[in-house]
Amino acid sequence: MLTINNLVISRPIGKSFFRVCLPELLVKAGQVVVIKGDSGCGKSTLLEMIGLILKPDEVTRYDLMVDNQTYDIANVINQNNINQLANIRAQYLGFMLQTGGLLPFLNIKNNILLSAKLLQKNIDSQRFDYLVNKLNIAHLLNKYPKQLSIGERQRASFIRSIIHKPALLLADEPTSALDPYNANLLFDLIIEQAQQDNIAAMIVTHDWQRIESKGLFTLSAKLTSTQSSEFLPL
Amino acid sequence: MDKVTAKWGLITRLSLADLCYDKKVSFCIIAAVISVITPLLLLFSLKYGVVAQLRHQLLNDPQNLEVKIVGNLQFDQQMLDWIKNQPETAFVIPLTRSLNTQADMLKDSGHFVNNAEVIPTSKGDPITKDMSLINQKNQVLLSSLAAEKMQIKTGSRIKMVITRQLDGKLEKGITELEVIGIIPEVYYSRAAGFISLDLLIEMEHFYDGYQSETFPTGTGLTNSTYPDSFARARIYAKSLDDVAPLALKLREKNIETRTQAMAIENMQAIDRVLSFIFGVIAITAIFGCILSFSGSFLSNIERKRKDIAFMRLIGFKSKEVMVYLLTQAMALSCLAFLVSCLLFLLGNCAFNLVLGKNLVSQPIVSQLQFYHFIIAFILTLFISFVVVAIGGRGAVKIQPAESLREA
Repeated sequence: MLTINNLVISRPIGKSFFRVCLPELLVKAGQVVVIKGDSGCGKSTLLEMIGLILKPDEVTRYDLMVDNQTYDIANVINQNNINQLANIRAQYLGFMLQTGGLLPFLNIKNNILLSAKLLQKNIDSQRFDYLVNKLNIAHLLNKYPKQLSIGERQRASFIRSIIHKPALLLADEPTSALDPYNANLLFDLIIEQAQQDNIAAMIVTHDWQRIESKGLFTLSAKLTSTQSSEFLPL
Repeated sequence: MDKVTAKWGLITRLSLADLCYDKKVSFCIIAAVISVITPLLLLFSLKYGVVAQLRHQLLNDPQNLEVKIVGNLQFDQQMLDWIKNQPETAFVIPLTRSLNTQADMLKDSGHFVNNAEVIPTSKGDPITKDMSLINQKNQVLLSSLAAEKMQIKTGSRIKMVITRQLDGKLEKGITELEVIGIIPEVYYSRAAGFISLDLLIEMEHFYDGYQSETFPTGTGLTNSTYPDSFARARIYAKSLDDVAPLALKLREKNIETRTQAMAIENMQAIDRVLSFIFGVIAITAIFGCILSFSGSFLSNIERKRKDIAFMRLIGFKSKEVMVYLLTQAMALSCLAFLVSCLLFLLGNCAFNLVLGKNLVSQPIVSQLQFYHFIIAFILTLFISFVVVAIGGRGAVKIQPAESLREA
């Protein structure tokens, strides 16, 4: 379970600042949260803060409960303990980037297995086969990212981000380069895997209409001024 | 395999996989490093080859290190010991009166040297230091000119003939000597034989009209007391810097001396100029080397910022990313150094083959010792380590999100 209170950052835009704020969030294990909003409202910034790759200016509470153990991540952020943050990212977080996010010098299979190798976790080969077959990338496993389309990379990146069964999956516009069929397939797979492996998932998307009917908890960006936005439940 | 080893193994494999994948960039970095290391190796090989040898010859030329005694004096053993014990003295050996230091040497009636110089020598003599040591009265080291005139080789036997006038008659004293070595012309250019001090004393004894077992004639005085002082001495200073102080000390003892002051000043000036030129070139080259390494490795790190950010995104720690970058730098440096050594060997052969022929006394123009390579290798790794450590530290300080957004 993920609990966040008062997560704030002000980012410079020219001579002024744009403030992004998440007053409150509670995501249960297996729950999928959708983050929506106009371009430039700070969706990716919010995801980066939650993903611990961007230090917020303020965070009052950031608790992640895994296997009945609660991690006070806010404390780690405030202490700026970058090694501990890296540990948390490696073990409990899965991050799917908009452009794929794969190392160019590893083939797709090794890219997918990288998170698990870093943790020295054994891979459930049945699950691996299921995911690559489901997303139709089995024939691409020996290729390098450069040889794939962005959509194919996004699909590979998704598997890479959940292969080590993280507690929290963060996906930044995971379907932006996918055709409607594959976009539906990926959304369904995210929901399926989140529920199956108790992964709390947060998805930033502009593809709101595609998942509107799925009844997911949604955070929507509300512009409180021209220089500030807040993410509130829809 | 334990977990820590497995993790470092993974990081090393990632580093090397990246290098292999980016072959062109790896090649460019290696080429840049080679282009700096190879000329530096060649430059220093010349410094430690021909330049060092020339410098050594200039600074250790016995002719320049000699403090010559003017005229005939009275050197007793106490005075000789005093000279020997001076910190500036490298070698001292007594000499008899100058008229008594000449002899005819002959192999046969067709090959001989008239009035060859006869010079005493012993252990530590700068002129004969690389030659066999004279242990017996019947041994001689010939200068190359004397050997050439008599067409003598090491191991041959020659006769030494000295002539005295006794009771109005000319008498020849003859002794046979074994040639145990030939002194190269660069060490002594005149026709001379280097013998033991005992033989020289025996010569003087003969010239003075005494009977001698070494130069048997059956005539002469039988009283065999040998003098306990000498007319002159051969004195050499340890270095060019010691020549003037030693000469001054001797003059203070009322011993008139002559030195190659002008030649010494020239040698020292040449040495200073050579040292300065190489110093400037070396400093400039090492500075250029650091800049070249910085350019190559830092641009590589800059190019990898997105990959570094991505690795940190999936949980690689800063020190692990640093090891990833340093492993690449070390691998590239090692490879570049290896190729540089091979190219250096080619250049080295070219120098020695082509230029060595033109320098008779310097067949080795370019040379480096094994420890030079070790030092160069360690320096190469050290410079690339420092450059990458500084650049990598900057790269891992940037928040991953910043680098991922720039991409």
